[in-house]
Amino acid sequence: MSQHRHTALRRSALVAIPAVAALLLAGCSGSGSGDETGGGDGAAEFSFTFATSNNLESPYESLAKAYMAEHPEVKITTNPTPNDKYGETIRTQLQAGNASDVIQTTPGSGDARGLIPLAEAGFLEPLGETAQGLVPAGSESIFEIDGETYGQPMDFTIAAVVASMGTAGQNGIDEWPTTESDLLDACGALAADGKSLLVLAGAAGPNAGLTAQGISATRVYAEDPDWNQQRADGETTFAESDGWQATLQEIIDLNDAGCFQPGVEGAGFDAITNGLAQGTSVGSFIPSGSAVEIAAAAPPEVDFKIQPFPAADGGDPYILASSNYTISINAASEKKEPAAEFVEWLATSEAQELYYEKSGLLPISEYQSLDLSETIYSPIVELLADGAYTTLPNNVWPNPSVYEALQVGVQGLLTGQKTIDQVLQDMDAAWEG
Amino acid sequence: MTMTHNRSETELVVVPGAKRRRRRDVAGRRPGLLKFGHWWWALPGILLVLAIHYVATTVGGFFAFTDWSGIGDFSWVGLDNFAEIFSDPSQILALSNTLFLAFASVVLSNIAGLTLAVALNRTLKTRYVLRVLFFMPVVLSPLAVSYVWKFIFDYNGPINVVLRAVGLGDLATAWVADPAWAIWTILVVVVWQNTGFAMVIYMAGLAAVPIEIEEAAAIDGAGLWQRFWHVTLPSIRPAIAISTTLGLVNGLRVFDQIMAMTGGGPAGATETLATQVYKESFALGNFGYGAALALVLTVIILVFAVIQQRMTSGRPDES
Repeated sequence: MSQHRHTALRRSALVAIPAVAALLLAGCSGSGSGDETGGGDGAAEFSFTFATSNNLESPYESLAKAYMAEHPEVKITTNPTPNDKYGETIRTQLQAGNASDVIQTTPGSGDARGLIPLAEAGFLEPLGETAQGLVPAGSESIFEIDGETYGQPMDFTIAAVVASMGTAGQNGIDEWPTTESDLLDACGALAADGKSLLVLAGAAGPNAGLTAQGISATRVYAEDPDWNQQRADGETTFAESDGWQATLQEIIDLNDAGCFQPGVEGAGFDAITNGLAQGTSVGSFIPSGSAVEIAAAAPPEVDFKIQPFPAADGGDPYILASSNYTISINAASEKKEPAAEFVEWLATSEAQELYYEKSGLLPISEYQSLDLSETIYSPIVELLADGAYTTLPNNVWPNPSVYEALQVGVQGLLTGQKTIDQVLQDMDAAWEG
Repeated sequence: MTMTHNRSETELVVVPGAKRRRRRDVAGRRPGLLKFGHWWWALPGILLVLAIHYVATTVGGFFAFTDWSGIGDFSWVGLDNFAEIFSDPSQILALSNTLFLAFASVVLSNIAGLTLAVALNRTLKTRYVLRVLFFMPVVLSPLAVSYVWKFIFDYNGPINVVLRAVGLGDLATAWVADPAWAIWTILVVVVWQNTGFAMVIYMAGLAAVPIEIEEAAAIDGAGLWQRFWHVTLPSIRPAIAISTTLGLVNGLRVFDQIMAMTGGGPAGATETLATQVYKESFALGNFGYGAALALVLTVIILVFAVIQQRMTSGRPDES
């Protein structure tokens, strides 16, 4: 009897264990089938993941809708993903094999969503000639590997000072300062009235980093446009660079002169929105597209313009302008053909104009033919025409830790925790890391 | 029946009778089914715990010895990640911050929790309302309340407004971005939120202390402090063990409050091992290094939890 019972128990276990395992595996496989976009004939249906920072309709959502309206046989499933977790989300999805067919990425490798490491890991599909033709001259290294292009640029983003000329005028500043001394004078005048020329989110790494990079355009890249290549070749370091020393010294000088708002070291992005919209600050280093969003929350008289940061005495004005958003195709996608057609369509004039309208960012293929004289870009039209710009440096840097060191370093300079040499040495260490 | 008549009333209540023994025998007829049932019911849970908890943790531990970036290939680097952690001053600072926040929050929240529990244990008429009020922070999301506290500590927040209003504007500072104050603002929030939890544990412990013992001590001439120190405190030793152990483990892995209030800043001044694990693994793509940090954190939690248990465990001396 006892032996019979044990046999029955073992037999039941033999049935039960595989059954439970099968159930669990079925559960796992069920959750991992996110790349299935609904079956059908499989030719006209695919998914599209992009980053979003607010609950407004993303420009990418608008583009997908416009494409579907134009191609009724196509269905695009959009996956808006929070911006602050976007990089890690797409990395996890690509690694797990359930990423969307079309993915928004960024050029280079300085960011978790950077297309170079993703392409090197085999997650991205090489794109066609259209994408290759849109890559800005001299920026190939952040879009291509071995002659193959892995991201189609969408925008031409300007990283300079977005300034409210309305607020400036109300405070007696009729012209944007073009020299260092004019800038410091304007800072002093505004600070005396409890206002600031610049608003900086010192506790928000991306803004602290963008500010330092914006200033570096005039102190580093105006003189040595290929400085990043020199650093990559080991010909120089951040710590040895007079330009980078001057860049960080400028941040300290601006802080000492009262150019930033009080409490700058602890400020977040809300300080920028509030400062610019309420008129307590004149300008800030933010991506040009953000000016469009903030203008919507501000009174009409703010009159935002993209202004170049004044060069050092004797220097020339120089700005950062590059494509910061790219579109890539998942190498594991089973819908590569319709996905590639959509990506091709994104380069058309129709799509690029819609992108400009919705995002406020200059479209990559159209910006040279656009008349910008009556837009927020009017002060930098000549600089663009003269080619007085370079790509966003951190897109070219070899890993995200270099930019992280700069972001942390800027806050350290504002609080007095770090010296210029320490920050630059940290950046060198991260570069080698 | 005869047997029942011969037993005392106490025996009838306390000692299992013959009927009960017979019932156990009846149940014992099919022990195999019962055993089989128990094992069978537990299997899905055991498998899930193994798969989600132990297998995942073990795999994560394996990556601590690699240079994996989170995507693509990786190679075995041995103990390089650990050597790098212990030679990096910023990670040593993160480790010190972790230990500081853990121990300081345990000490402060337990002292405050025990004080509140003793104060609200008996006699006070409003004790039920006050218990709810003091426990309320525990049920709130740490992330959400941290954003509220960030506003309170903001340069233009209520604290500085009050300071300026009373003529102490010179003391106003960006509290969460001040290298000297930032870690203390985190500590305030952690203690504020953990105190209610400690209070509840101590109240449960105090409820089990018979009032007769305290009365006996009082009759013997023991003062208020002597009664608390020599009678009450030894009686709630298990509660102290639970509260301090849970507090220490929670303190060692504090994350939400830091990410919401300071993001690890200013310039790394409030980084802990938990925030570094997150940043290195997910923001900077150094998954192997992040896994090594996580392993260090796990070992620290394990060691301190064991030490803590050894120091505070043991039942109160009944003699």
